[in-house]
Amino acid sequence: MTGKVKRLTAAVLAGSMICMAAACGSGTSNQNLVTQEENSERNVNLFSPMEKTAPDAENMARSAADTTILMAEEALGVSVHYITYTAENHQDKTYDDVALDRARNNMDDLYLLNPDTIRSLGDEGLLLDLSDLKCAKNLRDVVITANTIDGKLVAIPQEVVAYGLFVNKDMFDEYGLALPETPEDFLECCRVFKENGIETPVGANRWWLETFVFAQAYADLYNGGNTEAEIAALNSGERRYSDYMRPGFEFLQELIDCGYIDAKKAGVSEAIEGEGADFLAQKTPIVMAYWGAANSDTAYGDPDFNMVVIGFPSSRGQMPVIPMTGYAIGVNAEHAEDAKDVLEVILSDEALQTYAEINRVISPSRNVETECIPALKPLHDRIEENVYVLGANADMNMEQWGNTCLIVRQLLDGATVDECMAEFDRLQDESLP
Amino acid sequence: MKQKKRIPLLFSIILVFCILGAVVFSVSRKISREMSDAAVQNLSENLNMIKSTIESVWEIEAEFQILLAQDIAGMEDPEAYIRSYQKNETMVKLALIRTGETEGISSTGEAFSEDGLVFFSSGKRTDGLEISSSYLNYMGSWAYCIKCPVTKDGTDIGMLYVEYTYDFLDRSLPDGFYNKQAMLYLMDTETERFVLKPKGMGARNAGHLNLEDFYRANDIHEEALRAEIEDCVQNRQNIMFGHDIQNKSSLNFIWMVNDGTICLVGYVPTEAIQQEGETVNYNIFIVVLIMLVAFLFCCMLYYFSERRQKALMREREEERERHSAQLTEALHAAQLASSAKTMFLSNMSHDIRTPMNAVIGFTSLLAKDAEDPDKVREYTKKIMASGQHLLGLINDILEVSKIESGKVVLNEDTFSINDLISSIDAMIRPMASAKAQEFHVEIADPEHEYLLGDETRISQILINLLSNAVKYTQEGGEIWLRMAGQKRSDQFEHIRIEVEDNGYGMTPEYLKTIFDVFTRAENSTTNKVQGTGLGMAITKNLVDLMGGTIEVFSEVDRGSLFRVDLPLRISTCQTAKPDETEAPAAQEEGSLKGLHFLAAEDNEINAEILSTILSLEGADCVVAENGRLVLERFTESREGEFDAILMDVQMPVMNGYDATRAIRALDRRDAREIPIFAMTANAFVEDEKEALGAGMNIHLTKPINVDLLKKAVSRYVHRKS
Repeated sequence: MTGKVKRLTAAVLAGSMICMAAACGSGTSNQNLVTQEENSERNVNLFSPMEKTAPDAENMARSAADTTILMAEEALGVSVHYITYTAENHQDKTYDDVALDRARNNMDDLYLLNPDTIRSLGDEGLLLDLSDLKCAKNLRDVVITANTIDGKLVAIPQEVVAYGLFVNKDMFDEYGLALPETPEDFLECCRVFKENGIETPVGANRWWLETFVFAQAYADLYNGGNTEAEIAALNSGERRYSDYMRPGFEFLQELIDCGYIDAKKAGVSEAIEGEGADFLAQKTPIVMAYWGAANSDTAYGDPDFNMVVIGFPSSRGQMPVIPMTGYAIGVNAEHAEDAKDVLEVILSDEALQTYAEINRVISPSRNVETECIPALKPLHDRIEENVYVLGANADMNMEQWGNTCLIVRQLLDGATVDECMAEFDRLQDESLP
Repeated sequence: MKQKKRIPLLFSIILVFCILGAVVFSVSRKISREMSDAAVQNLSENLNMIKSTIESVWEIEAEFQILLAQDIAGMEDPEAYIRSYQKNETMVKLALIRTGETEGISSTGEAFSEDGLVFFSSGKRTDGLEISSSYLNYMGSWAYCIKCPVTKDGTDIGMLYVEYTYDFLDRSLPDGFYNKQAMLYLMDTETERFVLKPKGMGARNAGHLNLEDFYRANDIHEEALRAEIEDCVQNRQNIMFGHDIQNKSSLNFIWMVNDGTICLVGYVPTEAIQQEGETVNYNIFIVVLIMLVAFLFCCMLYYFSERRQKALMREREEERERHSAQLTEALHAAQLASSAKTMFLSNMSHDIRTPMNAVIGFTSLLAKDAEDPDKVREYTKKIMASGQHLLGLINDILEVSKIESGKVVLNEDTFSINDLISSIDAMIRPMASAKAQEFHVEIADPEHEYLLGDETRISQILINLLSNAVKYTQEGGEIWLRMAGQKRSDQFEHIRIEVEDNGYGMTPEYLKTIFDVFTRAENSTTNKVQGTGLGMAITKNLVDLMGGTIEVFSEVDRGSLFRVDLPLRISTCQTAKPDETEAPAAQEEGSLKGLHFLAAEDNEINAEILSTILSLEGADCVVAENGRLVLERFTESREGEFDAILMDVQMPVMNGYDATRAIRALDRRDAREIPIFAMTANAFVEDEKEALGAGMNIHLTKPINVDLLKKAVSRYVHRKS
């Protein structure tokens, strides 16, 4: 006992001595108290709708993108600065407007662009050709096709964005409804919902109603085996876009006329913010959104019901609509080379694998495969069968995604289908060589 | 008492540490408060520095714009200058509206008016020039506009508008704020939209859009707090408040720039400001921890010391109690011993005096009636009986003494069960017949007739039990002796002996002490029974000595049953042994007649008795009064003159042992051969041993037993032919 106490006392005293010695230790002997580091940081400015997030951020989509950016920063020693913009309301400039302005004024190096913006800036020759990037060799054909303008690959996405209908399967089952394949099926479902007290069967916003139009317009064009010839005819003016678009617009008009879509509300609603709450509250059985929304808790990732994502109704059945967002580099970017290096990293198979695993999306690289969640399987299966339409196609001289969106907004604002078709004709005429 | 002293001591230690803890706590709180104040001051100074930087930039821009306006005023074609202006990083757009017109021209080519994006409704100024609210310019960048009158010859000829982007301000702001842990935005106060996030201002989840977005992203939902913030924003006042951001204690701020044209919005984690504070807190924590460890160490020492003290006290107490118990036990034992001794002496006194009374009484009567031969014979017979009883009493006492002192050694030898029973039967049956009792012997045929054991002692056990049965059974009663053998192994046979009677029986109380010395069943009937009261004690001790057990069952007036179990080794020799006693028996026929003894006896009476007895037996003797005289007489005698020497032990001048040794040491042939018999009142075992050790042949005890003397003589004395 006495021996233990002695040992314990000795240990305590030794500990105290160490603490005192540590406390009395002197610091550096230099008289200059500051260390000066050379600022050799390489900067790349990225214009994106997203803020750079902390690594532990909850938003999955942002984390996935940030994870790949972080990989680039660590691999290259560059610092990627985010410049962001988000419209506060529909009266504000859109993200696309600002992106165009900034790209045209060489404000940034890297841009994350929507398809219509890619088309516009590509046409203006403001985007760098990315064909020589190593990562471009791994891309799926559909990605290259959608983003090639005048022989230049001007943008590369981190995911193949597929739009589909997000439906509340429980509500369909409740009223004995099968999931719609054709526009007629869809209208019948809406009728049944409406008759059963569902005030607005289709939740919509001012951005994504065009997907209905694309599905009906180009189901045959992209799946009929004569795609190139038909696009050539459109580019030459032999065929009219309005002929393709009319069924979709008439379909939307019927949805509006029957009260299946609240046109006024849709016209001023931002994506998901406008219709998401009602869909999650099971007041609205149908909304449209992109693939990633099914995986994101901030969107439709955690519904209280059985949610299924299917393609849009068309004459060829459920039809996914694939527009292409993508990263692009300004042709006059101050840090173009660094930006290209960043793209090499964030679009590499390794980064895309990470991105796809986090977001559970379809990767643009043919070398990256991931499993999707059960809710997305119907949409995924159609894409795997090569059944889809493109929401944007650089081969078409007339920009599709942005123009169609704007014309759909005119429909929401009260324009007739004929007036909308006239607008298509005007735009097509402007695009003719 | 010690316990009472320790409680205040412990209380004092706790109190001291409590006071110390309270002091440390208060000092820590004070340091914490001062550090918080310092943090607020530190952040305020940094925000003021950023604010001053932005205001300085704006003032320089305004001063430059005034100079530019003066230049434009002097130009012949100001519109041409405006149209030809190429943007730089500072001034991204120029515009001019002539006085009296609502629309002018701009460097980007399109028409310019105040009705478009540019608003000057806030009335804010920098260096005397009006500054617009923020807007998204043609470059997709947040911008502001400063307007400056173009004056020529004292007359305003127009208004020069210059557009600046907030991105340019970024260059004047620090690269990183609080080691990039802080978040900082520039917010247009009027619209509450964020117009710039300087580079290197940290990362965040969301909330980059406007003030509402900032609240949402940072979980600032408290109504009162938000109302106060709104109030400050509306009144263009600075506000700094504490609020956790992403689970970190942070200082949040809205800091007005240029009287509220824009403001700095953001937060700084407290730990980023108080980096040294964290070290201080850590050190305080270490000190407190050390104090706590020290306190616990003290408590532990105190506890162990206390426990040790208690253990010692408990041990002492136990030892004291044990000693006390031992003393009490010893006292009780002493009291019992004393009581037993008293009782023993009392019994001895009674039992010795009774026959002694008879001896003395009849001796007196013998003196008176010496002339009457019949009476003399009757008296001597009774004196002899009393003497025999007295002798039996003394023998029993010696026996008990020998057993209890562990000096009895069993003399194991092969013996016959049947012979044993026969001899016992022969001994007891006359006694039983004398009282008209029926004596039944029931022997189950033993598997082995010959066993190894001390036959004499087993006989003694049986005789004791059976003689008691005879004694304590009324006339005409019945006595049973049963014996059965049960082989337990190849080497041992357990003999069960039962002695039963239908006599007086014993009370349960007496049964408890039946095997104690000097206990006899006492009642009106048994008082008549003669006995030493040592028989059962001797029996019990002998049974124990043999490794056996003895039980007794008895009821008053119904009789008693003694059951003895003895483990006896089976003799390998199952045939009758030759009777060794036959030869001496044959020799006994010669008796003492014609023998010549030399006797040492200092007591004249004993010497006379000895002489008389020997004379009566036809022998004679020469008596010497001590050992030396015996030695001298033997030395003087011719060889073979004496047949044997009868040696008393306790004698004056020279005792019997020394005399024997001296005789044996004599240089003459018969000195080593002549039988020397110890004839002494020293009857203990050690006496016998010493006698044999001194060179004597046999140890005979007084009073003289002529038969034993004859046996000894027949064994050791070689008669002259």
